[in-house]
Amino acid sequence: MGDSKSDVLQGTLDLMVLKTLEAMGPLHGYGIARRIEQVSGDTLTLNQGTIYPALLRLEQRGWVKAEWGMSESNRRAKYYSLTRPGRKQIESETENWERIAATMARFLAPSN
Amino acid sequence: MESPKESLLEKFRAALSRIASLGRSGAMDAEMDEELRSHLAHAIDENLARGMSRKEARNAALRSFGGITQTREAYRTQRGVPVFDQFVRDVRFGCRQLMRAPGFALTAVLTLALGLGATTAIFSIIDALLLRPLPVPHSDELTVLNYRSINDRQNGYSFNVPVFRTIEKGHDLFSNVAAFSQHTLQVRGNSGNVRVQGQVVSGQFFQMLQTPPLLGRWLTPQDDQKGGASSQFGIVISEGFWRSWFNHAPDVIGRKMIIANAPFVVVGVMPHNFFGADPVERPQIYVPLWSEPIVDAPYDNIAAGEHSWWLRVMGRRKPGISAEQADSALKASTKSIYEEAVSDHKWLEDQKDQRLGAEPGTTGFTYLQRFLAKPLKAIFGLCAVMLLLACLNLASLLLARSAARERELATRLAMGASRRRLIQQLLVESLLIAVLGSAAGLMAVPIISGMLTSILLGVNATQTIDTSMDVRIFAFVALTAIVATLLIGFIPAWRATSKNLNEQIKGGSHTVSAHQRTRLLPRILMGLEVALALMLVVGAGLLSASVARLYRTGLGFEPKGVVALSLDMGKQPLDGAALTQWYQAYSEALERQPGVEGVGYASMTPMDGSVWTSTIQSSLSGGDKEMHMDTIGPEFFRTMRVPVLAGREFRWSDTPTSGKKIILNDAAAKVLFPNRNPIGQMVYRDKGDPIEVIAVVGDMHYESIQHAAPPTAYIPMGQDKGHKSSYTAVVRLKGGAAAFAAAARSLASQMSPDIPPPIMISFQDQINNSITSERMMVILAIYFAGCALLVTAIGLYGTLAYATARRTGEIGIRMALGAQRLSVVALVFRENASVAITGSAAGLIAALMASKLLASFLYGTSVRDPWVMSASVLTLMAVACAASLLPALRASRIEPIQALRTE
Repeated sequence: MGDSKSDVLQGTLDLMVLKTLEAMGPLHGYGIARRIEQVSGDTLTLNQGTIYPALLRLEQRGWVKAEWGMSESNRRAKYYSLTRPGRKQIESETENWERIAATMARFLAPSN
Repeated sequence: MESPKESLLEKFRAALSRIASLGRSGAMDAEMDEELRSHLAHAIDENLARGMSRKEARNAALRSFGGITQTREAYRTQRGVPVFDQFVRDVRFGCRQLMRAPGFALTAVLTLALGLGATTAIFSIIDALLLRPLPVPHSDELTVLNYRSINDRQNGYSFNVPVFRTIEKGHDLFSNVAAFSQHTLQVRGNSGNVRVQGQVVSGQFFQMLQTPPLLGRWLTPQDDQKGGASSQFGIVISEGFWRSWFNHAPDVIGRKMIIANAPFVVVGVMPHNFFGADPVERPQIYVPLWSEPIVDAPYDNIAAGEHSWWLRVMGRRKPGISAEQADSALKASTKSIYEEAVSDHKWLEDQKDQRLGAEPGTTGFTYLQRFLAKPLKAIFGLCAVMLLLACLNLASLLLARSAARERELATRLAMGASRRRLIQQLLVESLLIAVLGSAAGLMAVPIISGMLTSILLGVNATQTIDTSMDVRIFAFVALTAIVATLLIGFIPAWRATSKNLNEQIKGGSHTVSAHQRTRLLPRILMGLEVALALMLVVGAGLLSASVARLYRTGLGFEPKGVVALSLDMGKQPLDGAALTQWYQAYSEALERQPGVEGVGYASMTPMDGSVWTSTIQSSLSGGDKEMHMDTIGPEFFRTMRVPVLAGREFRWSDTPTSGKKIILNDAAAKVLFPNRNPIGQMVYRDKGDPIEVIAVVGDMHYESIQHAAPPTAYIPMGQDKGHKSSYTAVVRLKGGAAAFAAAARSLASQMSPDIPPPIMISFQDQINNSITSERMMVILAIYFAGCALLVTAIGLYGTLAYATARRTGEIGIRMALGAQRLSVVALVFRENASVAITGSAAGLIAALMASKLLASFLYGTSVRDPWVMSASVLTLMAVACAASLLPALRASRIEPIQALRTE
C-alpha cells in the first residue's frame, strides 16, 4: 500500500454507496464494492468488508432497502436499492459535501 | 459516522430496528454469513475469470475483503444495541464464574438474602403502619387529636366522652370530628353467642372517612343518640361480614341482629377495602357510640364521664387549614373546651397543665404506630447497618476471590482490555449476586414479616399488619439492590484491576510482600464488620437488660382482674364516721360475693388521670418535699398486689382519735429518710402536726410504666378531713364481672337508696399494655443481633477459608520444614483472632459513643452496663473462634507433598 492511497474518509463511504446505487440501480454488496474501487481508480484502500456495516446502517435509516435475488453469475445475492428518502438524502449529502470540499479548497489554495 | 442531516424520525427508525433485531440475532447472523459467502463467491468467480488459480483466486478475494471477523463484529455492533449485547455477554460470563465456585455463590447470595430480607421485612411493617395512607378519599385532610401535659414525655391519645362531645359540637377547624374504639361484640347466632370484632363509632365517623357505602347508608349523628334513632340502634357491617353472616343476602338492610342481648338493625354495608380509621383493625360491625353501655356491659365508659379515657378522636380538616394551624388552635382553646365539657373543679385543676393538639392523620391512627414508630425506626437503622455489614462481608469475600484472579485480570489488562471494561464486567458479577440475593430475600420477606407480626402482636391477636407488597416496597428493594451492587462490587473491582502485570507475573503466589498488602483490605473490612456486629449485639443486650428490668418492676401492681367501682356520695345524708362505717359495711358485703378476692378503697386510682399533691417534710429531708397523695382504705395494697415492704396496712380502727398515721412508698421513704428506717418516725404535712409513718410499700406507677413512680404518701380514709368524700372501690375478681356488677349495684341501693348505682370500669382497659413498645423493641433487637452475628460468622469464615486456601503452598512448606499441625492451627486461628480483637475494640469504642442514641429507650439500665459489654465481646469472640474452626482444621490436614505439587 503506497503513500498515494488514502483511507476512506469518515462519513464519505455512505455517500459513495448511495451514489453508486443511484448510478447503477439495484446492486449486491460485491458489486457496490467493486464499483467504488473502479470509480476511485485505486486511490482508496477499501476493505470490501467495511461496506456491509455501512449498508446495514443505511438500511436501518430507511435510505436503502434489500432483497435476495439471483446475480448474473447465477448466484444468490442480496440486492440493495435506493428508497425515496435515500434519494433525498443524496441531495442533501451532496450539498453538504460540496460545501466542505469548497471550504477545504479555500484553505488549501496557495495564499498570496 | 453519524450523518449530521439525520432527522429525528430516522434516528428513531434506526433505534427501533436495532431493538427489533435483539430477539433474532441468530437468524440475522446466518443471513449475514450467507451474504458474506455470496460476496466471496462473486470475488472468486471474477478472479478465476482473470485466469488465477483456484487457490490464488480465493486468497486474493479474502485479502481484498479485509478481516472477516472484524466485519462481522462491526456488523453486529451496528445491528444491536451495543451496551446491551455487551451486558448479555457479561451476564453469561458472570454466571459461568459463579457456577465455577458454587460455595462462594451460595454464601454470597445467602448473606445478601439475609440482610435484604430482614431489612425489607422491617420496611414492609414501617410501610404498613407509618407510610401507607388510609384507603379513603382525601386521606391527607385527616387529623389525629392528642393531648399532652407539660412534663409528659409522650402524647396521650385516649379521650373521654365529655371532652370529645364538646369538640364534636363546636369546632371551626374540622368539617367532621369522630371518635372510635375497638370492642369485641357478643353476637347471637343460630347456636349461641359468637364473638365478633366490632368498633364503637361516633355519629360523624363515616362522614369523616367519606367512603361511600356498598349498600344502604352510613351511621349518622341521628343514629348516635341515647336509645338510637328509633327505639333501637342502627349498625353498619363490613362486606366480609355481609358475606360470612348473611351470605350476601341482597335484603340485608333492615335485618335485625342481637348484640349483647339487645336488638340492633343493619342499616348499611361498607365495601371490601374499608376498615375504618385504624389500619391494624378489621372491624366487622360498627355500632354507635351511644350503644357502648349495652355492648360493653357491665362496664359503662359513658357514665364514667371525664374519668374514663377510652376514645380515639380524629377529624377531617376544613380546606385550607393545615395540621399545624389546627394544632395551635386546639392548644389555645383547650381551657375553654375543658371548662365547657366538665364541671368538676377538682378534675379541671388536675388537668390544668394539659393541652389539646392535632397531628397529621393520613395513615389513620393505631396505638401500634405510637408503640412501634420509635422501635421500628431504630431497628430499621440497625437493619441498614446489618445490610451494610452483609455488603462488607461480600466485598471482602469478593476481594479474597479476586486476589485469586489477579493474574488473570492483569493479563487481560496487559492484552489491551480497558480498565473500565473490566470493572464493568466485575460489577456485572456483583449485580448478579445482588439480583439473586434480592430475589431470595424478597421471597423470604412474607415469611419473615409474617413471623415478626405474629411475635409482635401475639399469635391470637385480632389485629393485622398488612405487609403485602406495594410500589414503595418494590422501589425500596430495587434501590437497595443497586446500592448493594455498588458497595459489593466496586472496591474489589477497583483494586483487582489496579495491578500492573509485571508485578503480578513476577510475583506469583510466592511473594510474601504482595500477599500481605492484598490481604490488608479484606482484613480491614472484616474488622469493620466485627465492630458493627459488636455494636448491634451491645444494643440488643442493653435493650433486653432494660426490658427485663421493666418486667421485674412492672407497674408496681397487678392490673389484671381488678375492676374499679366508682361511688358517688355527694347526694346522700351520711358523713364523717358514719360514712366510713358505711364504706366498711359495703366492702364487707362485697367481699362476701362469689369470685371476690379482695376489696380496697382509694380516692385516686392509677391511670384515672387525677393527681393530688401536697408537701411533706421530715427531720432528715431538708425542707418541704412535694409528694403525690392518696387517701385509701384497709386492704388496698393487698387487693392491688402492691408489696408492703415494712410495717402494716391501714385498719378501720385508724380513726381521727387513734393518732395520725401515714404510709410512704419506697420512693417517698428514700426522699424523706435517706438510709434510715422510717417506721415509727414522724413527718409533717403542710407544716402541720406530726404524723407517724407506719409502713413502707412498693412503688406504684400512676400514669404509665415509663413514667417514674412518683414519691407517694397514703393517708387512711378514716382520718380524711373531707366531707362526704367519694371513693372508688378497687375489687380483685376471679371470673365473670357481669354478675358481680349487678350484685354491687343492688347492694349499694339496698344499703343506701340515695346513692346512684356505682359505675364499673376495668383497669385493663385503661392500661394499654404500657410496656408493649419496649417488649417489641427487644424482640426486634435480639432478632437482628442474631442475624448480624450469623452474617459476621459467615463473613469471617468465608474470608478466612479463602485466605487459607491461598496459603496452601506456604503451609505445605512450613509443614515440610517441620511445623507441627497444632502450630498450623494456631497460625490460622491467629488470623481471625487479630481481626476479631481489633474489630471488637473499635466496636466497643463506637458502641460507647453511639450509646447516647439508645439512652431514651433504656429504663434503669446504664448505657455502659459492664455486664452487657463484656458478654457481647465474649459472644463475638466465640463466633470468631467458631468461624475459624473449619479453615484451621482443613489447613492442619494439608499434606506437604500434595501442597507443593499444586504450586
